[in-house]
Amino acid sequence: MTSERKFIVPIGPQHPALKEPGHFEFTVDGEIVTDASVRLGYVHRGIEKGAEERSYIQDLYLFERICGICSHVHATAFALGVERLAGVEAPLRAQAIRSLVAEMERIHSHMLWLGVAAHEGGFDTLFMYSWRDREIVMDLLEAFTGNRVNYSVNLLGGVKCDVNESLRDQILRGMDQLEKRIQHYLNVVTTDRTFLARTEGVGRMTREQADLFGAVGPTARASGVPRDVRVDAPYAYYSTVPVRLITDERGDLLARFVVRINELFEAIRVIREILDHLPEGELTARMPRRIPAGETISRVEAPRGELFYFVKSNGGEKPERVKVRTPSLCNWGSVMQVAVGHKLADMPMILAGIDPCFSCNDRMVQLKRKDSQQWMSWEDLRQYGIEYYKKVL
Amino acid sequence: MNNWSVPPLIALFLFPGGLFLFLWGLFYEWVDRKLVARLQNRVGPRWYQPLADLVKLLAKEEIVPEGSDPTLFYLLPVLALACAMTSALYLPMAGFMPAYSFRGDLIVALYLLSMLTIGLGVAGANTPNRFSLIGATRTLTQLFSYEAPFLLALLGPAIVAGSWRISEINFYTQQQPLWIMVTQPIGFLVALVGLMGKLELPPFDAPEAETEIVAGALTEYSGRGYALFRLGKNVELVIALTLVATFYLGGLANPLQFLVKTLGLLVFLAVLQTLFARLRIDQTVGLWWRIGALLAIAQLLILFVINLV
Amino acid sequence: MRKRLGTMVSDVLRSVFKKPATQLYPFERKPAPVAFRGKLIWEPEKCAGCMLCVKDCPANAIELIVLDKVNKRFVMRYHADRCIYCAQCVVSCRFKCLDLSDEEWELASTGKEPFTVYYGKEEDIAFLLEKMARDNAGENASCEE
Repeated sequence: MTSERKFIVPIGPQHPALKEPGHFEFTVDGEIVTDASVRLGYVHRGIEKGAEERSYIQDLYLFERICGICSHVHATAFALGVERLAGVEAPLRAQAIRSLVAEMERIHSHMLWLGVAAHEGGFDTLFMYSWRDREIVMDLLEAFTGNRVNYSVNLLGGVKCDVNESLRDQILRGMDQLEKRIQHYLNVVTTDRTFLARTEGVGRMTREQADLFGAVGPTARASGVPRDVRVDAPYAYYSTVPVRLITDERGDLLARFVVRINELFEAIRVIREILDHLPEGELTARMPRRIPAGETISRVEAPRGELFYFVKSNGGEKPERVKVRTPSLCNWGSVMQVAVGHKLADMPMILAGIDPCFSCNDRMVQLKRKDSQQWMSWEDLRQYGIEYYKKVL
Repeated sequence: MNNWSVPPLIALFLFPGGLFLFLWGLFYEWVDRKLVARLQNRVGPRWYQPLADLVKLLAKEEIVPEGSDPTLFYLLPVLALACAMTSALYLPMAGFMPAYSFRGDLIVALYLLSMLTIGLGVAGANTPNRFSLIGATRTLTQLFSYEAPFLLALLGPAIVAGSWRISEINFYTQQQPLWIMVTQPIGFLVALVGLMGKLELPPFDAPEAETEIVAGALTEYSGRGYALFRLGKNVELVIALTLVATFYLGGLANPLQFLVKTLGLLVFLAVLQTLFARLRIDQTVGLWWRIGALLAIAQLLILFVINLV
Repeated sequence: MRKRLGTMVSDVLRSVFKKPATQLYPFERKPAPVAFRGKLIWEPEKCAGCMLCVKDCPANAIELIVLDKVNKRFVMRYHADRCIYCAQCVVSCRFKCLDLSDEEWELASTGKEPFTVYYGKEEDIAFLLEKMARDNAGENASCEE
């Protein structure tokens, strides 16, 4: 006898496991998850539309606010795109500082994730300690840029902040301290018996699956997909200071922990190298206020994976269209597939495993359903939106 | 012999039954929270925080969710707390003589303690909330997994003492030159881990895993009901610590011994709590039945063999 | 890889003898770093009234009120609650008359008033406020009728 009624466990939009709103429905049979679905869009803020109403300079700060954790890479991606349109190249020192801050941001983002993921697995001690040590890099960022989040380092055509001798020493000291702690966390994560019981073999995604679902970033790299924008298409200072690609073949949660922690070591190495060979020179290049007409794309590697910007200019002071594709969105598909067959208790960790950023996610996606023949152009869609709201109001 | 006894009415309302247990439970909750915080390099709550929480909860509105039985909803917290407190009457609280004592009161005390957990489970099943239901299932599953090994572990000292009366076991353990913890290390280990399971401390906190099922069985409880359940858990903490201290740590002869031994045990539990990631409910059950129960039985077998020889 | 139990035991036990990492903020404060971006500070003497800061501010936090363009009489109305402390205005300013303070950064307030800050020569501010009060009074009077 089978019961017709499904037992669905809703997680979100408000739930202790989620620090940002998203809604998940897990159909469970006892403790086993048999089906999973996701609904996003609770924090859609209309940033892309807002960008069309502001000047390029103002947009820089608007895009920084897409995500509070990886704000710097958003601004970098936008600045790189606009600079390419204007035919301006930021000075070498500015590029080096962009990479430097990006790597420091990666450290803070990955350590934040380490804590959150540990907390989802009920390992609060690891959570507390990793966040305590994250303060080291937060303080460094504060001393460097003046802000703890949303550093606003970038300018169109350069950067605002410079590194002097004392700051350099401070950062290097902080990195030494962090390296020791991170080594310790790597040991904990790979040897602790209770923690391994929660991560080893859980949420395994094969390389084929990762390719199929278009996973990006550490999530894909943990499944053995060699994909990293810093390596594939170096931007900023990464062509001068190359980054070693870190992958793992196992594809489970443990592999994601290992990949992210190893990326921390790599980030520390890159930071040291940049600080050792910081090129002298100007911080900014002259940037026109009106950006020549044209369109371009720019890609950077955010802590969560590939971040993609499309910028279209009509020759004025404001962009005609900006499209952002954030890494979290690419990784959701994999989560929903991988979740099926696991225990309900593993769900928070599997969800956290891709390091989701909900506010990054919530932008428009074009869905092409199998039976739907309807296509809309940008203008049609705009018109549809206007009509729709006329009807509602 | 410095084991004093107390008059019945005081036993019920002040000591060891009523007020003492409340205050002591709140105090131990604070000690536990503070210790865990300090071990995690945090500051932790101030000494009156558990009391403030309790007062705040008691002052709050209690909402009975639609679709649940209101009588049960109101009754269960009271029942759970009452059961937990009743079991204190059979224990040498603060090193005094148990207020009541009869042959086999060990079993009664243990089952009164379990009533709290069962009350929790039923309370969760009584509400239509899905988190509560899962929490209730997990609570009861966990109850069935740790109960047997924990009981077996407590039987060890009872068997060597030759009595199932807690007060007699207390006398016996006091007179031993060695603590039973030393003579029956396996049993002590099982009892200690069983204690953590019983109190739903990490890593056995799957029934109330906040990142999965919010607050487990108590998700729908607010205000008075929640306050009573929390108080019940604090009382359970004191009683369970007393029980293990009586059996394995050389008995409780006076208030000082009570304080030192139970606090020592609590410190040890606090350290253990911080060291592990949460176990999934299937892992908990597996651990108890595959390892816990076997260890406890092995300890008993060894005892029988020694007794025969 | 050997599996072990309680891998964090050394951290946990060491913490007992260590001060908690938590900073009890209002009682103990760490001084802000030199580069810290706090409240915006404006020096009216250097300002030429080019309005670039107003134009570039992504949060519309700056208003530059021109009293007399020729004699360079400006008043800046700065909205600390809107400011996102990005320092774009500091970079945009060609006369270096803007800076973000590293001393004044505890800007939280229970009311709205402290968030609107006036910078400029004292007599200019007084003049502006008086003018606003007069305008407001006029508006209110007309509303009541």
